[in-house]
Order: sequence, then C-alpha cells, then structure tokens
Amino acid sequence: MSAITIDGVARSFGGVRAVDAVSLAVRDGEFFTLLGPSGCGKTTLLRMVAGFCELDTGRILFGAERIDTLPPHRRNTGMVFQNYAVFPNLTVGDNVAYGLRARRVKADDMRERVARALKLVQLEGYGERWPHQLSGGQLQRVAIARAVVIEPAVLLLDEPLSNLDAKLRVEMRGEIRALQKHLGITVLYVTHDQEEALAISDRIAVMRAGRVEQVADPRTIYAWPQTPFVASFVGTTNLIIGTIKSRDGEMLEVACAGGVLHVHSATGNVGEKVTLSLRPEALRLLAAGEEAPAGWARLTGTLGAVEYLGPVTRFAVTLMDGTALQMLALAPPAAAGTVTVAYDPRNIAIVSAP
Amino acid sequence: MRAFIARQGFPLTVGIVAVLFLGLFFLRPLVNVLGASLLDASGKHLTLANYVSVLTSPFFLGGLVNSLSIAAASALCAVLVGVPFAYCLARLPIGGKPVLLALAALPLVLPSFVSAYALVLLFGRSGVVTHMLQSLGIPFKSLYGAQGIIAVYTLTLYPYVALPAIAAFRSIDRSVEEAAQNLGAAPGRVLRTVTLPLILPSILAGALLVFIEALENFGVPFVLAEDRPILSVEAYKLFVGETTDNPASAGVLGVLLIVCTTIALLAQRMALARRGFSTGTRRSAPALTASAAQRRGGAIYCWTLVGTALIPFAAVVVISFLQFRGPVLHGGFSLDNFTELFRHSYRPLANTLMLSTLAACGATLIGVPIGYLVVRRRSRLSGLLDIVATSPFAVAGTVLGIGLVVTYSSGAFAITGTALIMVLAYIVRKLPFSVRSASAILHQIDPSLEEASINLGVPPAATFLRITVPLMLGGIVGGLVLTFVTVASELSATIVLYSGPWMTMTVAMFQALEGTGAGVAAAAATVLIVCTVIPVALVYRVLRRHELSML
Repeated sequence: MSAITIDGVARSFGGVRAVDAVSLAVRDGEFFTLLGPSGCGKTTLLRMVAGFCELDTGRILFGAERIDTLPPHRRNTGMVFQNYAVFPNLTVGDNVAYGLRARRVKADDMRERVARALKLVQLEGYGERWPHQLSGGQLQRVAIARAVVIEPAVLLLDEPLSNLDAKLRVEMRGEIRALQKHLGITVLYVTHDQEEALAISDRIAVMRAGRVEQVADPRTIYAWPQTPFVASFVGTTNLIIGTIKSRDGEMLEVACAGGVLHVHSATGNVGEKVTLSLRPEALRLLAAGEEAPAGWARLTGTLGAVEYLGPVTRFAVTLMDGTALQMLALAPPAAAGTVTVAYDPRNIAIVSAP
Repeated sequence: MRAFIARQGFPLTVGIVAVLFLGLFFLRPLVNVLGASLLDASGKHLTLANYVSVLTSPFFLGGLVNSLSIAAASALCAVLVGVPFAYCLARLPIGGKPVLLALAALPLVLPSFVSAYALVLLFGRSGVVTHMLQSLGIPFKSLYGAQGIIAVYTLTLYPYVALPAIAAFRSIDRSVEEAAQNLGAAPGRVLRTVTLPLILPSILAGALLVFIEALENFGVPFVLAEDRPILSVEAYKLFVGETTDNPASAGVLGVLLIVCTTIALLAQRMALARRGFSTGTRRSAPALTASAAQRRGGAIYCWTLVGTALIPFAAVVVISFLQFRGPVLHGGFSLDNFTELFRHSYRPLANTLMLSTLAACGATLIGVPIGYLVVRRRSRLSGLLDIVATSPFAVAGTVLGIGLVVTYSSGAFAITGTALIMVLAYIVRKLPFSVRSASAILHQIDPSLEEASINLGVPPAATFLRITVPLMLGGIVGGLVLTFVTVASELSATIVLYSGPWMTMTVAMFQALEGTGAGVAAAAATVLIVCTVIPVALVYRVLRRHELSML
C-alpha cells in the first residue's frame, strides 16, 4: 500500500497527445478515480502506472520509490482488466494463485491466501471450477481476487464494471468500495460513468483530451465544477454565459439571458465574462402566488416541453432571450404558459477559469 | 541502450533471424533469377535480348496467354461453384454440415496433380471411361488441354473461395439484410445489392489465391497440357535443357510469372481499398427458412460438388490396387503396383516423411515468432516482416527452385543437390502459412491475458511460455500438420531441386507418369493421399477451428 505520485507525465501517439503533462498525487489508502469520456487519456495513464505504456516525459512514484523505470512485472501492482483477462487455461484457484507462484510463495501459505481471497470476493469453494463455467460477474470477482491476493502496492481497475449489466454494476461497485475500505488499499480506478465515479470515489480527477480539468472530492466536483467541461460531463447542467455587472460584498449581478442573475461568489471582477452553471435541481418552479424562500432570486420564462421520467419530471423553461433552462422537479409542473423560477444564488457556480 | 535491448531484445532477435533467413533463401535467389534474365549467354554483359527473344517468340507468348487465361478462368469457375456452395452451407439447413465442411477443405491438402492424373486415367486417351464410351460407340474427345486443367483447378481450388465465403456469409449482421427487406427488397435483390457486395472482399481474396495457385502450379499442366506451353512448366524445361551456364530464358519466364502475380495482388488491393467496411456488432444470420425443394436442391448441389472434387482421388486409390500391363489396365485386384513402386527402395517415402517433418518444424519455429511480432509488437520492422514473410506464396515453386540452384550451386555454401536446399525451399514456401496461422490464433487471444500475467509478476518471456504458448498450442499443431501435409505433396520446387538420393514420393510419381508405369504412379499417388489424409484426420478437431484462419 502506498501513495502514487504522477509527476509531469506525457505521451503522444503519432501527433496526438494522449496524456499531456499530467501531475496527480494519490494519497495512501485513497480511492482515486480517473473520469472522462473515451479517448481522454485515462486508460493510457492507468497503463502507464501498470507499465504497459511508456512515458515520453515525467515520473511515477509509489511512496518515495520511482517505478516508471521498472518493467511491468516488477511494479507490484494488481490490475483488473476491462474484459477480466481470466486465464482460460487455468482453474479459478490457479488463476488466483498465479501471482503468488510468480512470487514463490510457499504451498501452504499460498493455499490459505487463495482461499482467503476467494472468500473475500464471495467465491468460496469455486477454486476447482474453470473460467468457462462462470458468469460475467463471477469472472469479475476472480479477476479482483487475483489482483488483491498478491497484496499489491496499488490496485488498478480499468473500467471493471463496463461489461456487466446495469443492476450487477451497482451491486459490484458497492462491493469494490467495501473491499477497498476493508483492505485499506490505494485504488486507481478508471471509468467513463460519472455516476459510478461519484458513488465510489474518495477523490475524482476529471480528464479531457489528455489533461486533468479538475481534481476534487465527488461533492465538490458536482457542486463546484471549475470548468464548463466538468460541469456538463458530470451530471446535467445549464451553462449560461454572462458579464459581471456589479458586486455587493459577495453578491454579484451577472447580466445574461436577457436579464440579470444573482450569484454568490467571492471571486470575479466587474466587467469580467463568466460562464455560470445552474444545476436543474437547484432551480425551483414557483406555483402561482407562491413566495420564493428567503434569500432566493426569481426569473420569469415560458414553460416548454415536459418529460415525465417516473420518480422525477424534467421540463424546460425558456427565458426572455430564448435560453432554455433544463429543470427537474418531483411533481409535474401544475402551471402553464408564463411561469416564475426561483433559485438560490449560493447554488450557482462560476465555472469559467479566471 | 541496455534498457532498449532489454525491452526490444526479443523482437530484435526474431527480426534479425527472419530477415537473414528470408534475405538469404528467398530474396537473394529471386534477385539472381532477375539477374540471370538480364545477362547474356556469357553471364557478363547486361542485355534485354532475353526478354526480346522470349516476348517475340509465338511459343512463349502463347505460354503466357495460356497461363494467364487458364488461371483467370479457374478463378472465375472457382467463384461460380464456390460461392453458391458457401451460401447453401451458411444459410440453408442442410444435413451433415460438419462432414461437408471437412470434406470441402480436403482438396486443399491433397496433391492437385493426383487429381489431374486421375482425370487422365479415367478420361485420357487410354482412360477407363474413354474406353467404355468408345466401346459403346459414343465419340469422346479426351480432356487434355485447357478445359481439363481448368476443371482440375476448379475442383481442387474452389475451397479457397468457398471456405472464407462461408465465414463471410455467417458474419454478416442479420439486421442489415432485414433492413433491406424491410425497405421493400425481395430476397434476390437483397442478395444482389447487400449480401454479395458485403462478402465481395472475401470472394476476391479467395479468387486471388486460386489465380496465383493456378499460375504457379507445375504438376497439373505437366500432366494435362501435353504440348501446349504453360509458363511454369516451360521455365522448368528451359532450365533443365539450358545449355549455357546462365539460365537466361528460364529466368525471363520466372520474372514474367512473378510480375503476373504481383499485378494480380496489386489489382486486388486496389479493388478492395475503396471497400473498407465491416458490419459492426455481429448477430449472425440464422438458417433461412427454405422450402423443402430448395433445401433438397441445396443439399444435392453441395454433396455433388464435394463428391465430384473427391472422386478423382478415390478413383486413383481404387486404380492403384488394379493390375496393369504396361499402361493398359488389366483388371483384377493386386498389390503389384505397390510392390513395383517400392521394389528398389522405400527411400522416396522415407525422404518425403523426413523432409516434410523437418520443413514443418522449421517453418513453425520461424513463422510463429514472426506471427507473434506482427500481431503483438506493431512496428515498422514487424510490418516489413509481415510483407516479406507472406510474399513467398506469390512466387512459383519452380522459380524459387531455379533461384536457389543458381545461388547455391557453388562457393562456400554449395548446397545444391542436398536435402538441406530442399528443406530451405519448403520452409520459405510454407512460411506464409505458418505466419498467417500463428497471427490468426493470436488475434483470437486477448492481449490483456498476457498483460495480466506480467502485471502479476511473471516476466514477458516466462509469460509467453506459460500463457501464450498453451493458448496457441492448438493452432500451432494445426499449422504444423497442414505445413507437413502440403510439403509432402509439393512438386514444383522439388522437381527442380531434388537429386538422386533425395527423390520424394511426388518425384517418384512424376517419373512414373513420364514413363509408362501408370499403375506405379497410381500407387505413389495413393501413398501420398495416405500421407496427407492420416495426419489431417488425426488433428481434425484442432484443424476444424483453424482451417479458415489458415487461409
């Protein structure tokens, strides 16, 4: 178990910068997720840590030890592959014992550790089975057992849940998180699924086009995205461009969408152009005659298309200048035509980098 | 530098060995053939006179036209019989499909000139069927010449078209055809506008293989062409009969053959370059619901084609057990032909078995690492290796043989007339199969399996032995056996390279053909068939998974 330091790492394929001067510090025992769309470099970065992709520049350290110069088989990482990569020519038990054999662990010790690892992933007694007799979820568990049984310095997971069906995915991610907490192991986890990243991680690095856009804990990433990309990739949001008109203490007036939005922020200068992120659930449709909560501001618009989604209803409100705001509410809107929307200025994030 | 060698040591070693081997025993002989064609009789002065004399000679020009038109007609016929066969097998519910598939692949491993010889025995001037027909008073023109050659090529080479076409028909996403039907296209129109265009690349690739095989084949035209000139045969005759030291005219014919196959290869590339499509996720087509009549028709067609292709081989086996007096069939079963065949010695059989084994092992040892590099370590070197290692299949065995003799008949490495030069020629000729079969299996093995092993602490070389080789084993054995079998029935390079003590079964049969020993030739053919069918049958289960990837 150790911290991971990724220091100024870069790699180009042809003319494309797959990973572009990335620096990250993953703490010891942390569940750290690389989140981004396909092609953003997250898998390349993970494979650099594992040693399957060479660095053009930069260093990678586990604790104080530099490992990017070591061949992959001497880095002591446990990797779980997207397609499990369970050896089809070995039994489940031999798959799990594979890394222990390479480390010349004594037979008794090995048997005991294999049994313990299989129990950990709820596959007790599956040691004699063959991979082709297992389901996708069970193969996934074998892959995880095989990776953790060697007590690796860090556990690397490359989109481990993407081949499972939706229900099993939710179940397995809970198990992976519980396992990580139980073992206290450092995890580097790659996914393109923002919900998965939010649910499972201590901290998330959102990546785009080879660069890290923001590193933060899930709540911060969702509530206070620093860039328009992070705001729109993690969850849905309304991005509105405007200009800061005035400042009164920490309360800004931003001219946008044909009117004025009130935003609570310590930063931002008058005259500056900014992008605002308004999460759908931060907006509330007011019923006729209803008062906005204390400290909230109001907007006027026209109710547009309504989508009933079961637990929630999604609808759009078109503002004066034609900007459409996506909103969410538990109950379908009762009003129609011209409506009033209330929002809390403290829930609006300024996302454009200063 | 040390880190570089540590990381690239394996690919570098394989690359250097492969480049050295192919450079010495493939490229150098070919360059020498080209050189010979450009030198005058003294072997000292550059000249184009050889080309002028060959290309202005009606005889050789006729040979060029014969070779090309026969090869093109054979490719066309193979497509015409092979594609419907593939369609029936892939889409109609026909009984005994596994057996049909196995039998359909069989002609590829059987020596094709045996089939040609069977045609002579049955339909030749003194053929069994010819005699029967004549005694019944039915006039029958024998099957010598172009039509006979094309018939033999079509029947022995159609699997090159049919087997990939079956795979292609099966791999078309059913929903693409359903979409066409849904838009109002009748089944015939769907076939013409969607299905066939989608499998065209496979058909063209198969047709090209037939074309090249037909162009370079030596045994079939030797048996059936009589006095019509065919390039591969004339090159051999010229080479044997050439009086001067410099095999100039044979060299010209060799270069012409290589130019023809190269043009065909390039034409196919260009035809396919603009058709780079694949049909995404595959939901393979279910068997069509066909009427009973259609099903019966399809089944009859498939079984008839497979049967017709194999009947000549069966006929030869039967004939080999009949009594002959000279070239005339006498009736009555006996083992006389085999006694006569092995009267002098069993040496040819022993030679065939030994040389085939050596060549198969050699081709596997060199080909598998090349295949591994080509698939797993993409680089400029591996790209080059892929091209060089698979190009021998476009070079006629006769031409390669001539080149090897010209190159290694004197000097410090004079190996002409030894078993070594034969084995080297076989390895070069069969290397494309080994490389292709190895890379085909590797494509089916997920690279993350090897990465997982390395990640768990097993070094790359040990990972190769503990994970990659066991997973590849079936394919390696399959490739090994197919190489063995095709070397055993190799004639075109052998005929140029063999010397007295190293006569093989194919040469023994060839000599019996030239003489009057029809029965002996049939016996030799039967021995050859046994040599190929038994190993193939033994590893059939392994081959079944890989027979398609070999192509």
